[in-house]
Amino acid sequence: MNILTIALRNARKKWVRTSLLLLVFTLGVVSIVALGFVSRVVGEGLEQKLVSFGANILVSPKSEKLTVSYGGFALGDMLFDVTYLDEAATQAQIDTIALRKNISVVAPKLVVLDRVNGSAVALVGVRFERERQLKGFWVAEQGVIPGETPEQAADRVVMNAPARHEDPAHAPGGQPLSPAQSTGPSAPPSASKPVRVAAGPNGLLAGSAAAAKLSLHVGSVVPLGAHHFVVAGILAPTGSDDDNVLLADMTELQRASGHPGEVNFVEVAALCSACPIDDIVTQLGQALPGTDIKTLRGIVEQRMVSVRFVKKLILSVSLVILLTGCSMVGVSMLSAVNERKKEIGILRSLGFARRSVFAIFCAEAAAIGLIAGAAGYVAGYLVSFRILDMLEVEGAGGVSFEPLHLLATALVLALLTSLASLFPAWKAAGIEPSEALVTL
Amino acid sequence: MPEAFRLEAAGVTKSFTQDGLPAQALSGVSLTVDAGEFVSIVGRSGSGKSTLLSVLSTLLKPDGGRLLYNGVDLADAGEAKINALRQRDFAVIFQFHYLLPYLTALENTLLPFMRGLRPVSAEQRRRALDCLKRVGLAEKAARLPGQLSGGEQQRVAIARALVKNARILFADEPTGSLDSATGTAVMELLAALPGEGLSVVMVTHNEEYAKRSHRVVRMADGRVL
Repeated sequence: MNILTIALRNARKKWVRTSLLLLVFTLGVVSIVALGFVSRVVGEGLEQKLVSFGANILVSPKSEKLTVSYGGFALGDMLFDVTYLDEAATQAQIDTIALRKNISVVAPKLVVLDRVNGSAVALVGVRFERERQLKGFWVAEQGVIPGETPEQAADRVVMNAPARHEDPAHAPGGQPLSPAQSTGPSAPPSASKPVRVAAGPNGLLAGSAAAAKLSLHVGSVVPLGAHHFVVAGILAPTGSDDDNVLLADMTELQRASGHPGEVNFVEVAALCSACPIDDIVTQLGQALPGTDIKTLRGIVEQRMVSVRFVKKLILSVSLVILLTGCSMVGVSMLSAVNERKKEIGILRSLGFARRSVFAIFCAEAAAIGLIAGAAGYVAGYLVSFRILDMLEVEGAGGVSFEPLHLLATALVLALLTSLASLFPAWKAAGIEPSEALVTL
Repeated sequence: MPEAFRLEAAGVTKSFTQDGLPAQALSGVSLTVDAGEFVSIVGRSGSGKSTLLSVLSTLLKPDGGRLLYNGVDLADAGEAKINALRQRDFAVIFQFHYLLPYLTALENTLLPFMRGLRPVSAEQRRRALDCLKRVGLAEKAARLPGQLSGGEQQRVAIARALVKNARILFADEPTGSLDSATGTAVMELLAALPGEGLSVVMVTHNEEYAKRSHRVVRMADGRVL
């Protein structure tokens, strides 16, 4: 038995009031914790989706370009000098910037013009594994996306099986045909079996429009100089530039085009929920002198706005809930001070110092905060799964129970409720025994 | 033998404002209480007896005059000094028992020792049980005030005064809310305390009860007659 006994016994005696306060505060904490968990999962999902929309910063060599038009007729751009970036050096420099952690994907590009079946087409060298991170919207309409693991490819084949066509031009066992076995476009495959073309280093991914225009299908061979590429997959329409190009493995295309280790430009996907995109651009500019750094501001700012909006919303709701809870504690404590005036008088007449009376009220509020914080965290953790389920949001695995967070929540709530009870406690401490007990 | 001490009020004045008008509750009251004394203060309502008791027990600060305890003037003493006196030497009981309703009789008795985070010791607990036994409530130590009669509640308040070995018990109409039989029982208890070294200063309307004290101080219009 000590001074805390007085606070806790009173809380127990006034169990209806205590329960009500606990309920309100616990509900508040549940809302905050659940919203926090849900917003984190949704935010992470949003970031993933936003990243999948593609790059938002373009790094390219500085070049002198002249836009030529005459008599209102545009003749295109005249490029005086085509320059290349060293892929490895550029990547290394990008890795040095302070905001590197905000860069999710660095995707270099090499563009080579080729002529296939009499039509000009751009072959774009990419690192497929990074490109797939950047372009989550890619779906192989036929075949596979180079760089996919066999399991991923198999999943995609199964998922898209009805739309797939067997390629008569590939060898049994999934091995691509050699250029000698199949040159140029071949007949469209039948729709009876899924296509399984292993994407070797010379595998090509054809954009939907390019494949249609060039009559390409899985297994078609596309020559480039002495090299031959084999179409491993055809993309479903994306509505982007990817529809009109053929995408090849970077290393193979660099070798085939005589530009080993060189790229034309680098696409960078940055998510700046916590930093200004301008800072990344500035740092990239400093790390890569002699390059042009351009931002696709619309995408970037939309990303930032979305993430900020969600966070601000959560913060606002949390603040309102906390303020409401704190106000309730404050008002309740204030009314308790008036109700317990005689008790306070007795304590003071027994020699309790003002600070002791102050501590009793703060301790009572802190106990409510402590319990509400702990119970609210646990309940909020459980409720967040239900909310995510109701919202049909995937990623509940991202919700993890953190004992330290539980402790921190309980302590913060105890602090908040104590702060909310400061005025009532101060008022209680100011009560003189004479005014509480003496009837003159 | 009780330890010697002296509480002395000298020319104490106290006024209040009632309905916007000043009212003189005490007009130069002087009174002395010595160790082992039982002093009754009697007078009609509004005579200033409760105000005097409140001033003597440090619950109320006088406007003027001196309040000396063992030669130390309490009229201008700081809060720490006053708190120390209330903790050790002075105890007050009122017409209404004013027990904390959510603490048992034992816990209410132990209340003077529950001022800090340090838990009540086994010795203090034993002493509290002894005090409850002294007032005839040992077997009801675990009961809440609501489960006790008015007289029993008042006796718990007396036990709370005894437990800290106070030197003076100030009692403001201690039998005022009790029936005659219970009031008499409480009075018998109070009357026995000076013999145990605890001085008692009691305010009462009841002349019969006042007769049981060593000295009766009569008041009227804020003055000792």
